[in-house]
Amino acid sequence: MLRALELRKDFGELTVLHPISVDFCPGEVHALMGENGAGKSTLMKVLAGLYQPDYGHIQWRGEIVSFDSPHDALTAGIAMIHQELMPIPDLTVAENITLGIEPTGPLGIINRQTQRERAIELLRELEADLEPDRLMRTLTVAQTQVVEIAKALGRHADVILMDEPTAALSDHEIAALFRTINRLKSRGVAVVYTTHKMDEVFRLADRISILRDGRLITTAPAHELSPQKLISLMVGRELADIFPPRSVPGREPVLEVSGLTREPAYRDINLTLHRGEILALAGLMGAGRTEVASALYGLQPAISGLISVHGKNVVIDSPTTAIALGIGMVTEDRKGLGLIPALSVRENISLAALNRFARGPLVRHTEEANAARHQLQAFAIKASSPEQPIHQLSGGNQQKALLARCLLNEPEIIILDEPTRGIDIGAKAEIYAVIQKLAAQGKAILLISSELPEVLALAHRIVVLRQGNVAATLDASRSDQESLLNLAMPL
Amino acid sequence: MRLTPRPVAGFFFIACSLAGVLALFTGCKKASTRKEGEILIGFSSRDLSAEYTAKLSEAVVDYAKTKPGVRLVMVDAQSDAQKQLSQIENFISQKADVIILNPCELEASTPAVDRAKAADIPIVLVNQVTKSAGDAYIGSNDVDAGHIAMEAIAKQLGGKGGVLMIHGIMGTSAQLQREAGAREVFAKYPGLKLVDHQTAAWDRAKAMSLTENWIQAHRGKFQAIFAHNDEMAMGALLALERAGIKKEVYVIGIDAIAQALTAVNEGRLDATVFQDAVGQGQGAVDAALRLARKQPGAKENYIPFRLVTRDNVGEFLPKK
Amino acid sequence: MPTLDRNLLHRFGILIVILLIGLGLSLTTDTFLSLSNLTNVARQVSINGILAIGVTFVLLTAGVDLSLGAVVALSGVTCATFAHPGEHNVMIPIFIGLATGAACGITNGVLVTKGGVAPFIVTLGMMTVARGLALIASGGRPVADMSPSLTNLAGDVLGIPIPLLCFAGVALIAWIFLSNFRLGRYIYAVGGNENAARAAGISVTKVKLFAYTTCGLLTGLAGVVLAARTTTGQPNAGIAYELDAIAAVVIGGTSLAGGIGTVTGTILGVVLIGEINNGLDLLSVSSYYQAVIKGVIIVGAVWLDRRQSRS
Repeated sequence: MLRALELRKDFGELTVLHPISVDFCPGEVHALMGENGAGKSTLMKVLAGLYQPDYGHIQWRGEIVSFDSPHDALTAGIAMIHQELMPIPDLTVAENITLGIEPTGPLGIINRQTQRERAIELLRELEADLEPDRLMRTLTVAQTQVVEIAKALGRHADVILMDEPTAALSDHEIAALFRTINRLKSRGVAVVYTTHKMDEVFRLADRISILRDGRLITTAPAHELSPQKLISLMVGRELADIFPPRSVPGREPVLEVSGLTREPAYRDINLTLHRGEILALAGLMGAGRTEVASALYGLQPAISGLISVHGKNVVIDSPTTAIALGIGMVTEDRKGLGLIPALSVRENISLAALNRFARGPLVRHTEEANAARHQLQAFAIKASSPEQPIHQLSGGNQQKALLARCLLNEPEIIILDEPTRGIDIGAKAEIYAVIQKLAAQGKAILLISSELPEVLALAHRIVVLRQGNVAATLDASRSDQESLLNLAMPL
Repeated sequence: MRLTPRPVAGFFFIACSLAGVLALFTGCKKASTRKEGEILIGFSSRDLSAEYTAKLSEAVVDYAKTKPGVRLVMVDAQSDAQKQLSQIENFISQKADVIILNPCELEASTPAVDRAKAADIPIVLVNQVTKSAGDAYIGSNDVDAGHIAMEAIAKQLGGKGGVLMIHGIMGTSAQLQREAGAREVFAKYPGLKLVDHQTAAWDRAKAMSLTENWIQAHRGKFQAIFAHNDEMAMGALLALERAGIKKEVYVIGIDAIAQALTAVNEGRLDATVFQDAVGQGQGAVDAALRLARKQPGAKENYIPFRLVTRDNVGEFLPKK
Repeated sequence: MPTLDRNLLHRFGILIVILLIGLGLSLTTDTFLSLSNLTNVARQVSINGILAIGVTFVLLTAGVDLSLGAVVALSGVTCATFAHPGEHNVMIPIFIGLATGAACGITNGVLVTKGGVAPFIVTLGMMTVARGLALIASGGRPVADMSPSLTNLAGDVLGIPIPLLCFAGVALIAWIFLSNFRLGRYIYAVGGNENAARAAGISVTKVKLFAYTTCGLLTGLAGVVLAARTTTGQPNAGIAYELDAIAAVVIGGTSLAGGIGTVTGTILGVVLIGEINNGLDLLSVSSYYQAVIKGVIIVGAVWLDRRQSRS
């Protein structure tokens, strides 16, 4: 039904898609697998009309077509759900879902009643419990994603392209999404999607296309592949155990928190982070993990409670203070709180530590460039040069650049909020290695992650948050996924 | 680190609002204490930031003070015809006995006149006419001013030579009439050639840039510059002086503002045309009082223009 | 330097427009390409140039300053008031003019950052307040009788107009500042993504306050230069100057959404506008048509430039 014919895409000098031919069939779930920067997102964006191919064609229902804009593709019946969500924050859920296809009365006046009903109907189909009159800006990432999917469904798309749809979803929400995808499938919709979660692919996909460095390695029915085979095809080499061994943490407390409260997000949070320790904050979406981290980094200070760093009571009222105290943070919200999109990779990496490369008010360019180049190598960031604008990088490479920015300040306490979200398995392994290395160097790490295997394999201890309270503090080596989930589930 | 504490901004805000409320309050108080038999004159000035208008307005205010039983309220339209219209509407609702209007524009200020007439309040136009005639007009015929200025140039050049003309804001009645007056003179002297003409919007800096560009484009082809007002004449003068060719060019403006008179006295500017701001202002108040008291009088009263050169500038210079 | 090359390449579109118009003018007039006319253009663009550089700082932080024209008038008036011959050293009126501009800029900055009022509204308010203060300070009349030692500052040094030297100096300092100073980098960061900049430990308040103050200071400088050039402090000078300045900056590739833009781009934008004004006068184009042609060229140049940079 939809067919890519020899599609090629260049960004400047860099060819990010070598001529690729692949076809997508109605009623089929087609997974695109590959590491970050392999070209999955680019391929999707070309198919959805966001990018124009430099060579090759798109065949749609037997005809060669060219989409000048996402709107063209949408009109033809191809919808895309982006990895970085693009809602309109000050409209309601219902208004976002029906954006551009608002039901109107005779004078072009929007029929609010019908609009709400359409939205409720679509949300019900996704089993999402969302009030249609809520403002988008009050939603979590997961809820926003559900709205985006409902939006595509509302357009009766024949092909739905989903870039990492499950990266930010909870297990319950993922299960609902899968049921929806199966329903779409039985209706004859072609679903194309990318993910980094192995178990998902084999539960869902009918066929899998594997991309590596902008080339199509193979397309095969899912049942002909095993996870090991898939990983080695993606990475191009066999992977050893991706979790490096843990080092032994110190005893000396570096960060102590007691009675930290900011209603209604969290209350009476107590935790202690030691030198060389990896402490995980686990919990479901909305349990207050990110909010606690934001308080420790001064982004949104707590209302009450004590924080002490190296035994001294401190008040952290802004990130500037936090950085001065030796605290660094890598945010989960890359787009909102992380990247300066128009600046180069170099400028993004050096941003928080610019005074290290300055003589008085002057930036010493050579030192800055050297440091940036060093970080590019150390974190294996794929960029054509340090001068490339950061918005051109793939999600994983942007993430690594933000980690590089944080570490350039040599913080003693590092807060990592979902550091591996939306990152391929190769890059994940690299980040795990970095985390363990930092712990071995004696840094104290507060890790927030929704991936339980990651939490269990990396952390020394785990603090489980449930609805803003500390549910338990566990020794990671004596825990398993099931007990963690039980603790995290709302009572 | 906080560079400025929040209270400073707060204080600034409160101080500003207090000042505003106070101004409003005193304004109201004045309006409410209207004495029996007192004549209330509403006066809307075109723009107090323009020197000529400021002079005229001052004359209106000062002269009204000398008249017993008369109270005059002046407002500034800041060259905005919309604002002027609402000011006239305010005068109407305050039940002014008579209105003096110094119109912003020929067309756009016409509704203001119509509104006053509909409310049966006599209206005196000063310095500028509108499409609808007022009950009286005090002013000077700008066609005359253009004529006088161009005649001076014609006389200086012996009826032969190149002239540049700098317009005011295009479409204002002063610009249109001053141009018309000048064109009459061109028609009279076939030897007089209009080399180029362009607007500088009554603005000195713009006239200066324009003249600099003209010096590049037309050097040697012009012997005189006629600017529609003195501000622009001063700009042209500065450009010529800077280029060192003032001697070759005769420069004349209109309005006789203080700086222009000084420049004429110093022998820098060749001439200006005196428009009698004080005469117009006093004439307007006289006409307004006549209308308020329902006395007969001339409907139009033209205050004549006079050419000011180095020979007679002494009469016009402000007394020290 | 790699950044410079990238910017020059990016500015290619505007450069081509400037050169094409220049070529056209030198073919249709015999005066355009003369040294004296080019000096002329340089002198005339200086004031807009100084303002454009100033407002570049503010636009880069995703702000806007609509008070430029009014603050030019106010600074010109305060400067002229202290510039009567034989009263003060020439540095006093210059300092007063600059200080007036800077004070307006600080006020804008404080209200934007601490007050949390949108820049559009704050500077719109400043526009009328400054205009009013200029009228109050001058009594509504041009402040004349300026000392020659100050008005000579609008003259030439070795055949180079002093206003041009001011513009060039300001542009050079701004260029060095934005590309080499930490604070310069922070301006781009704040404009590019304010929240991310704050999360990276940058004091957004300080950065914005600096941008508005710099813009105010340069506006004060423009006011002093204008007063020197017209030998008066005019309370009604500078009307709509902010529009020409912002137009020049945007022509030069600065994004109104902040975070993107260069000093070189702004200079090219200023030159293009000055070239159009000069050319239309040289060609004796009628006043009515001048306005239309100017608007069409400005929009056309930006359109061409954006097409160029996209491909």
